[in-house]
Amino acid sequence: MNRRPRVGSSLATVSGFLVGITAVLSLLLGDNLALFGVGEGADALAQSFALPGDVLLRLLVIVLALSIVFGIANLLILHTRRVAGGRPMSGVLLASFAGTIGWHITQRGDLALLETIQLPIESALAALLCVTLVAGGARILTRRSDSWGFLFVLVVVVVLLGSLPLPELAPIAAVSDWLLRIPVQAGARAILLGIALGSIVVGVRALLGQDRSLRG
Amino acid sequence: MAENTLALISFVLTLMVFSYLLGDLPLIRHLYRSAVYIFIGTSAAFTLIVGYESLLLPFWQDVQNPATSWTVLGAQADRLIFYSALLFAALLLLKPVTRLGWLTNSILAVVVVMGAAVAVVGALRGTLLPLLIATARLPTLDADLGTLLESLLVLLGTLTALFSFHYQVNASDGGRYGLGKGFRTIGKALIVTALGAIYASTILSSLTILTERIAFLFQYGA
Repeated sequence: MNRRPRVGSSLATVSGFLVGITAVLSLLLGDNLALFGVGEGADALAQSFALPGDVLLRLLVIVLALSIVFGIANLLILHTRRVAGGRPMSGVLLASFAGTIGWHITQRGDLALLETIQLPIESALAALLCVTLVAGGARILTRRSDSWGFLFVLVVVVVLLGSLPLPELAPIAAVSDWLLRIPVQAGARAILLGIALGSIVVGVRALLGQDRSLRG
Repeated sequence: MAENTLALISFVLTLMVFSYLLGDLPLIRHLYRSAVYIFIGTSAAFTLIVGYESLLLPFWQDVQNPATSWTVLGAQADRLIFYSALLFAALLLLKPVTRLGWLTNSILAVVVVMGAAVAVVGALRGTLLPLLIATARLPTLDADLGTLLESLLVLLGTLTALFSFHYQVNASDGGRYGLGKGFRTIGKALIVTALGAIYASTILSSLTILTERIAFLFQYGA
């Protein structure tokens, strides 16, 4: 089948590629004064390398800040429609939003609302996490009763027991210490390296316009 | 507002969230959902307030003030950057208009690619290089044997754990890739150990918060 090249798609790819390469080079080289030698000329050269990155970052921050505003506006429109559609629970969200904004305008600088509503709900939700995590850990043994599931639960139990300040559990605390110092450090470093490598691969794919969502 | 009233609101909200533990009962489930909806509403409002007061308003004030400049290009360039950003954001709103898809996609591509550029540079300079250097750095030979052995174990462990990320179809004639399989098994064990320790740390953190919340409930109830 003869497919016509799409101008819009090419424009998105080309503009994305040019901006991306400029930003990466500027961010990588701009801060690295050692690359440009020593002296006033070197400083000026480093500054001129850093400039495109600075400009693009500033542009990005403002666009993202406005995107957050649009996102919140979208949330409010959606819940207003839901209230109109007979779902009163969305009214609670709209009322709490309006109440917070109203409080901020009338009581400038007062953080009482943050401490009375936001923090208690946040910490209660984080506390609930403990219950769900313990239940999830127990479920691993019933749903996935292989050696990996057993090892996972064993490590969890050893680290939890090792954190208790009981002299009777000193041998377990020593095992937990060793676990955290060597195997956990090695595993965590590998996970972080994997995440970094994955981020770089995904980032480079986006820079080269290989990401489907950018091609329009 | 009186301090007691504020504490009562916190008390009620905490109980509303904890009502989740009672399960899916007819009236009780609305308590938890109400608390979550209140949380989303206040979070959205605080995000808007912080976004406006800490980002947009200072930027706008900088643009209005010719004495301040973000870059060496001067105040005129700042104004150009600010209005370009406003234009970009406005064009992003036109996404639902399919005829202008080419334009909004180009703007979106620039925004996403900038994010990708920051992520690539951050991953490279903030994670990859420092971790590689820290992992490959061995103590000097005059260090005690224990320290040297520990560093070697961490290095070997990291390498085997990284090796376990490499996916390979199992050979049908078992044992052909014995060494590789052995490395992968050790690596996978290290990954599972690390994930278990992270899980346990999360449980410990949430347990600390749970005890603080329970203490608050008892303190207020008494």
